[in-house]
Amino acid sequence: MQCEEVREQFADRVRQGIGEPLQSEITAHLVTCDACRNEAEELSAVWTAMGSIPAEQPGPQARARFDLMVDAYQQGIEQGSTPGFWTGMNSWLAGFWPRQPVLQFGLGFVLLALGVWTGLQLRPAPQSSNTARGDELAELRGQVAAMNQMVALSLMQQQSAGDRLRGVNWSYQMRKPGQEVLGALLDTLMHDPNVNVRLATVDALRQFGDQDVVRKGVLEAMRKQESPMVQVALIDLAVDLREKESVAMLKEFTQDQKVDAAVRARAQKGLSELE
Amino acid sequence: MSETDENLMLAVRGGDVAKLGVLFDRHHRTLFDFFVRMTGRRTVADDLVQDVFFRILKYRKTFRDESWFKAWMFHIARNARFDYYRSHQDEAILEDNHADGLQSPSPLPGQQLEQQQQSMLLESALFKLSPEKREVLILSRYQDLKYEQIAELMSCEVGTVKTRVHRALKELRDMFLKLSSEKPPCNVKKSESNLRIV
Repeated sequence: MQCEEVREQFADRVRQGIGEPLQSEITAHLVTCDACRNEAEELSAVWTAMGSIPAEQPGPQARARFDLMVDAYQQGIEQGSTPGFWTGMNSWLAGFWPRQPVLQFGLGFVLLALGVWTGLQLRPAPQSSNTARGDELAELRGQVAAMNQMVALSLMQQQSAGDRLRGVNWSYQMRKPGQEVLGALLDTLMHDPNVNVRLATVDALRQFGDQDVVRKGVLEAMRKQESPMVQVALIDLAVDLREKESVAMLKEFTQDQKVDAAVRARAQKGLSELE
Repeated sequence: MSETDENLMLAVRGGDVAKLGVLFDRHHRTLFDFFVRMTGRRTVADDLVQDVFFRILKYRKTFRDESWFKAWMFHIARNARFDYYRSHQDEAILEDNHADGLQSPSPLPGQQLEQQQQSMLLESALFKLSPEKREVLILSRYQDLKYEQIAELMSCEVGTVKTRVHRALKELRDMFLKLSSEKPPCNVKKSESNLRIV
């Protein structure tokens, strides 16, 4: 064997992963070649010594953090599948008490409005005032919806990624979000530094997929996102929305070798579903 | 007999999220060790471990019947680390004094102390390698992945992985010797022909 051939086997040799008769051929070469023998012994010594570096152990709070993450995720899923107002309130009571005074004030206002609304429901109304009562109820519902939007917008502007994630999830409570909320969601999708928040935003936008501004935003984000995970989520969303304008971009993805392999594969799958 | 990782992940994919806890208990230490060795920061490693399991939960549907869980998990781990680097480009991930929270040695006598110094020096040398070379060594030496599995993870040929391991080991050896000559207390002897690590 030549020196070069022998050295090509060093990566396997340090792991003792060479079988016969190759092992014997290498050994025979090492007996006669000082340079290869020295290198082989040195690399084996380094490999063995690497085993003396102790493994790092995580702290005891790791499991607790994991449990919290899973709980929060499942809570978000539940909110997404049942976007009713009462369900949202129950979930909030279970553990979404905000820390910021402005948010506490906002939620307090929501509760107050809810109390007034309940009072109006229970009050025996004069027969002649049915129309006026209906107007009042509509107005109060409007106020509750406006407060929901305000809370979502406030949360999405927080420094903490956890708060922003809650802001995104808050959008599940809105059936008809204003342009301001949609704009904030799309802005989060495009620019939020945390990939988990961006992923949650992709899911949140799915419920508003019938709106043009959302469809355009999704296409724009597909063009600019760099995270493969987010790209895959956006491709799934575009396919679910049957967004024909995404076809050209999906083709680009499949042909661009710089694009992550998983993204290319998902784009190919999406194309086959759209075409 | 305990369930395989793959069966547990298939159960998670099917909606049994509680099984993810078993996978976390089995693998979070491995992931933590990988991230600490790659980033040199325990706090960052803590966050990245949680990020990986969040992604596993989020993308559980993409786990295929024929997938090998550990390779799939490390694929996600690599993406999580890349994303972290991308969003923290202004931060120097690795610093000369990389061990922000790494275990500091307690005083030990004689040979134990020498071995500990040697390990620390080797660890420092490992951190001097480029992330690509460090990663291939960590995956093969500490995570015990086969070269075929690393090749699949890195989307390259097995021969390429072996070449990278060979080059990385040589560079590690050279770096170790360089640091040894700068820090005499470490018990490293370079004879005429051989490197000896005592």
